[in-house]
Amino acid sequence: MSTLVLDGVSRWFGNVVAVNGVSMSIGPGITGLLGPNGAGKTTLIALMSGFLSPSAGTATLDGAPLWRNTDVYRTLGLVPERELGFGYLTGRQLVRASAELHGLADPGAAAERALEVVEMTEPAARRIDTYSKGMRQRVKLASALVHDPAVLLLDEPFNGVDPRQRMHLMDLLRRMGAEGRTVLFSSHILEEVEQVARQIEVVVSGRHAASGDFGQIRRLMTDRPVQYVVVSDADRRLAAALVAEESVVGVALRARGGLDVSVADFGTFAVRLPRLAREHEVRIRELVPTDDSLESVFAYLVGGRP
Amino acid sequence: MNPTLVRLASHALLGRRRGLVLLAVPVVLVLLSVMMRLLTSEGVGQEAVLNLGYTLALPLVALLAASAVLGPEVDDGSIVHLLAKPVNRHVVAFSKFVVAWTAALVLGALPLTLCSFVMDASDPEQALAWGVGGAVAATAYTGLFMALAALTRHAVVVGLLVVLLWEGLLGNLFTGVRWVSLGTWGRDVAHALDEALYDPGVGLGYALGAAAVLATGAVWLAGDRLRSFTLRGDE
Amino acid sequence: MTASGTPSRGVIHDLGYRPYQGPRLGEGAIARALVVTGLRNAFGLGRSGKSKVLPFVLLAFNLLPAVVVAGILVFVGLEELPIGYARYASTTQVLLGIFVAAQAPVLFSRDLRHGSITLYLARPLRAGTYALARAGSLLLATLVFLLSPVLILYVVALLGELDVVEQTKDAALAVVLALLLALSLTGVAGLIAACSTRRGFAVVGTIAVLLVGNGLVSAVQSVASFEGADGVGEVAGLFTPYSLYRGLLDAWVEGGGVTPPSGVGMEVAYVLVLVGLSAACLAGLVVRYRRVAGR
Repeated sequence: MSTLVLDGVSRWFGNVVAVNGVSMSIGPGITGLLGPNGAGKTTLIALMSGFLSPSAGTATLDGAPLWRNTDVYRTLGLVPERELGFGYLTGRQLVRASAELHGLADPGAAAERALEVVEMTEPAARRIDTYSKGMRQRVKLASALVHDPAVLLLDEPFNGVDPRQRMHLMDLLRRMGAEGRTVLFSSHILEEVEQVARQIEVVVSGRHAASGDFGQIRRLMTDRPVQYVVVSDADRRLAAALVAEESVVGVALRARGGLDVSVADFGTFAVRLPRLAREHEVRIRELVPTDDSLESVFAYLVGGRP
Repeated sequence: MNPTLVRLASHALLGRRRGLVLLAVPVVLVLLSVMMRLLTSEGVGQEAVLNLGYTLALPLVALLAASAVLGPEVDDGSIVHLLAKPVNRHVVAFSKFVVAWTAALVLGALPLTLCSFVMDASDPEQALAWGVGGAVAATAYTGLFMALAALTRHAVVVGLLVVLLWEGLLGNLFTGVRWVSLGTWGRDVAHALDEALYDPGVGLGYALGAAAVLATGAVWLAGDRLRSFTLRGDE
Repeated sequence: MTASGTPSRGVIHDLGYRPYQGPRLGEGAIARALVVTGLRNAFGLGRSGKSKVLPFVLLAFNLLPAVVVAGILVFVGLEELPIGYARYASTTQVLLGIFVAAQAPVLFSRDLRHGSITLYLARPLRAGTYALARAGSLLLATLVFLLSPVLILYVVALLGELDVVEQTKDAALAVVLALLLALSLTGVAGLIAACSTRRGFAVVGTIAVLLVGNGLVSAVQSVASFEGADGVGEVAGLFTPYSLYRGLLDAWVEGGGVTPPSGVGMEVAYVLVLVGLSAACLAGLVVRYRRVAGR
């Protein structure tokens, strides 16, 4: 069980601020690092993996500083976004070399195990420069997994990986998270993050915009109405009743039945809706939040207040 | 020194076309001496060939070798895969240095001995002197070029400028350059072994000391730069 | 934009999102633009500040002797130029070599390495034309490097009231020789850079071919001269651009030198090899880029 902590970390390059006063703590389980392109995700991961010194603040792993501290790599595995060089080696040679550099007792076995985990056993005898992007990505992962790290950092791990492998990779990450490892991966694609992690850290323009379970984050955004679709056996009657409610700011009839309801106060609405239904003898068939997706959370955080 | 890193660096050096050029330079040099020896009498053209080998071929081989083991990896950032391991950075730098240094000795300094011996077999002492002087210069050159490769993306061009402009052009214009010219240190060592060779006059002790200090310092610096290796996003 | 009198109709203004239907410039215009951009890029213009350092430092070093000559003329006065127009390039051949070797990859390696070559070839631009346009840029850049000191010396000579006819004749000869040298250097450096997509490798490879090759030839020539076998030296001179240039320089302009080509036959051979080498390298470039395009 390991915890990565950033405390008031800023990083600037000349007069460009890449990361601005970020404090976060990444504990066991799987965490998604989410942000648009150029938000500072790669810079954050570099800071977390000891490949960048913070201009201000501290970055530590279980209390030990990360910068210029090679011992952290005993517990930390990194899958950088950067293209894998070493085109002149075979996949097996590279992973095996990684195992040896970690000083593992049986590097050959460790390498085979890591290759198997990413399903690269078969092409491992080929030179890396013959690999597709997805295969390179998986060899990078194998090389980072070879020492069974407690902390795994992945920068855009799903880039260039075909859909089937992507599912497999996602499963793998979920499993590692469930085992109590600290897994952090970055992505700018919402569906990816949504499928793998509930726990997210959002960065926008180098600033830490949000942190936590994305459903909770969504609920915290009270100045923006939550959208629901309510389907009942008497939509117009229910609509009339809902309009009278304090917690509701808008009701619209849907073309094919059901109501679009905008709710300002989610808590009150949750309590009032069943009562209203009973009072007006309406049977509610469906209640679906339409924008509790990461997409809407993200649009909100990136776009500023509406 | 780490055997895994040595193996990887050897791959980097020999596993690509770079290896061929690395081989071509000394091979051409030795072939030329063989040809000259066959067509002319003993010792003719020896100085011209060895000067060429010493001032141009040797530094180029050292430059190619040193930049091959470190340059491309630092350049495209893939060295991060090696550095994300609990291995002392100075060990990384030293392991890579050992590989480049071996190449520079075998393909840079040894051919000098071969050339000298081929062209004048009656003077094995001189052949040895060229080899040892070349080895000293190769050590210093390899160290310097390693440090450059760790410091800048333009290590090859800067290295060439050092060899061709600083040591070549300016070295010929200003005699003071000899104190800080890697080539003259090796020449001084060669002169100490064979009086007949050119004496740049910096003194054997100074020459050896300077070469040792430069090589050690450069490898240490390369290791220190690797400790501070910074991962940047794609530009 | 409704004309007066006609009833107003809807109009969609073309803001650039619709397919362009107007006239287009052809391949020639693309090639011209490419040559000009390439020439600027070779000197770091239109690129980062850092990439301007090397070409301009080399150019400054290259002009230094010419400027010194100008200084001498101003303060002392001269009977004749202390260094011939054509000899100049031979004296500063190391700088020239570094310039060509270091800047050829700028033009030839980067598009291949980063795959942006496909973007160029997606235009109505054939691979061969692209290759020749790039070579044209490098040729012009090399000529700027070679001829700017000649120009300075020529101006200095005229201002010093040296014999105009003689100076013009010498300078013109130097220009012809410079053109031949620049062509061959462009070919060699361009081909090496296009075949090796790694900059460092291309630079060292070019330097090795140009300078080590020249060193080998010089060694052979001096030995041949020493042994009295001038013919061997003359043949050896055929093998590298610098020795070819030096041979023609000795034969046409100054006389003397180590085993210059003797007789018209050999001189013609020197010229033919220079031209042939350039042509072969350019053909190699065209083939190389055709192959890339065909992939």
